[in-house]
Amino acid sequence: MLHTADRKVALVLMAISLVYLILSYQLPEFPYTQVDADMLPKSLGYLLLGLAVLLFIQNKPETEEQKAQRTIKKEDLMLMLITLVALLLYVFFLEMLGFVICTIIFLIFTMRMYGYLNWTRNVMVSFIFTFILYFSFNYLLNIFLPQGILPF
Amino acid sequence: MSTLESVLYGFEVALTWQNVMFVFIGVLAGTIIGMLPGLGPISAIAVMIPLSYGMPPSSALILMAGVYYGAIFGGSTSSVLLNAPGVASTVATTFDGYPLAQQGKAGKALAIAALSSFVGGTVATIGLMLIAPQLSKVALTFGPTEYFALMLLGLTAIASLSDGSSVKAFISATVGVMVATIGVDAQTGTQRFTFGSPKLFDGIDFLVIALGLFALAEVTQLIISRKESLFKSGSNIGSLKITKPEVKKMAGPVGRQSVLGFLIGVLPGAGATIASFLAYITEKRISKDPDSFGKGNVVGVAAPESANNAAAGGSFVPLLTLGIPGSGTTAIMLGALLVVGVQPGPMLLTDHPDVFWGVIASMYIGNVMLLILNLPLIPYFARILYIPKGMLISLILIFCLIGVYGVSFSQFDLYLLIIFGVIGYLMRLFSFPPAPFILAFILGGMMEQSFRQALTISNGSLRIFFDRPVSLALLIIAFASLFVPFLIQRITNRGKKAKTS
Repeated sequence: MLHTADRKVALVLMAISLVYLILSYQLPEFPYTQVDADMLPKSLGYLLLGLAVLLFIQNKPETEEQKAQRTIKKEDLMLMLITLVALLLYVFFLEMLGFVICTIIFLIFTMRMYGYLNWTRNVMVSFIFTFILYFSFNYLLNIFLPQGILPF
Repeated sequence: MSTLESVLYGFEVALTWQNVMFVFIGVLAGTIIGMLPGLGPISAIAVMIPLSYGMPPSSALILMAGVYYGAIFGGSTSSVLLNAPGVASTVATTFDGYPLAQQGKAGKALAIAALSSFVGGTVATIGLMLIAPQLSKVALTFGPTEYFALMLLGLTAIASLSDGSSVKAFISATVGVMVATIGVDAQTGTQRFTFGSPKLFDGIDFLVIALGLFALAEVTQLIISRKESLFKSGSNIGSLKITKPEVKKMAGPVGRQSVLGFLIGVLPGAGATIASFLAYITEKRISKDPDSFGKGNVVGVAAPESANNAAAGGSFVPLLTLGIPGSGTTAIMLGALLVVGVQPGPMLLTDHPDVFWGVIASMYIGNVMLLILNLPLIPYFARILYIPKGMLISLILIFCLIGVYGVSFSQFDLYLLIIFGVIGYLMRLFSFPPAPFILAFILGGMMEQSFRQALTISNGSLRIFFDRPVSLALLIIAFASLFVPFLIQRITNRGKKAKTS
């Protein structure tokens, strides 16, 4: 019964719409308005619930193309997970260590991971790109990126 | 001001050296990003938004418009050379463009694509110049009821016309509006779904969604294809020459499809992709030798290329005159304009004529630049596809992060960006179209406001939407558009039957 991906997705969507509906019913009332703030969320919740049920019933067989889209090589999946972790670490350390240090480390590491093997060019591009970005944001656009532990 | 004076004023704005430079940066960046299979025009614009911080609004829109039509222009290059369309709207170009390339006539195909794109873009700019001011005048009479009906039509149209399952498109749009409800309600001050966190009081920034759902998610596509080289080294693209009989053969289709493409672009929901497919199909149907299509017919390249560029120009009509985007791409531009402090809509013409006419004038300049960039320089330009993908992916990731951080200075928003990147990836995995999401997210808040304003005017009676003729007509069209997918399905089924019998 649950063998198609669409049905599993439909169930997840139903759960989301239910949680959303419960939260919408907890919204406080505001007496002096024609349409209160909970009107739209409630109708959206029911709409999504309806659409999810429709998706579940429809249960269209997947085309070959869609199936191929969902089969990902283990190697690629690993790389995407590494990217995700690298992004999270970057955000975590950005304000602590500063833009320059974080970006240079991030670039050198990820370029290497994506198969750019020339070390000299990798390091050169990482440094040049980071400094161009940092100085043009700070001095041309007056958008101050986190300085971190560096003095400039 | 007469139209002529206004256009001259527009050129005055567009021809300042800064704006000429921004047009150039825009079309160049657009062409390059458009060439890369996987990254579409929405990502291209989203990545460029950080550059527009602090710019005058006219320059910001000039830059982003350049990125948009540049991306559609550039998308044809990879369609012809690699059989991998850089953007969705150039898929139809591969049908005849790639066969031409296989016959050693890649240069010819690229030249035809560039010329037809130029004609399409220019026709659209002229159309925009003539239609937009008139529509602006009409739109001034619109109240919240008409706006609500118009936005609803925009949403149903994009969901109905998006390819693939329309149920999924509607789910995507619904979730988009749901995300838009997060934050403090503007009318009553009620906190909705903020969980008491002040970081969510203002809602989620549109840039977080745009960069996450599109740029970040599309990077995963590049990761998967990182080892495939984009361009075979040393391959010869052949001569760029187009013969006289070919020009004669193409003149009709290019003219027709430019006008048609522009009109399709003006409609909400339909855009460059639909215009290009429609152009290809109609030209094939009315052609004297339909069998030559798909085997390297020059018309098969010219028709979709003129149509998609014309449609890109046409999509600016609803954006500039009504302030309502008809597609995901123009939705991003609307969001970016709001960031620099301009509210597009009927008042734009009187409040910010520099934005209105400056952008239109810049499109003439941009199209000429694209023609120059693409025609003689194509052989050198195609080398951009040599940039190692590994390097490119890393740089795009940093651009996404800094784009968000530069506007909000908040670590929290960066985490949100990553979350939306994951959501965007999952949506592509399960074939949910992301364009209705971004359109719904941007329209959702505006829609709710005008709906509630209308009901406040009418003292809570829903009849106000049916008593006003314009809003009634729009609502009927919106309702009717829900049935378009069934119609399309029937037509394609009949087409298949006709083919087999």
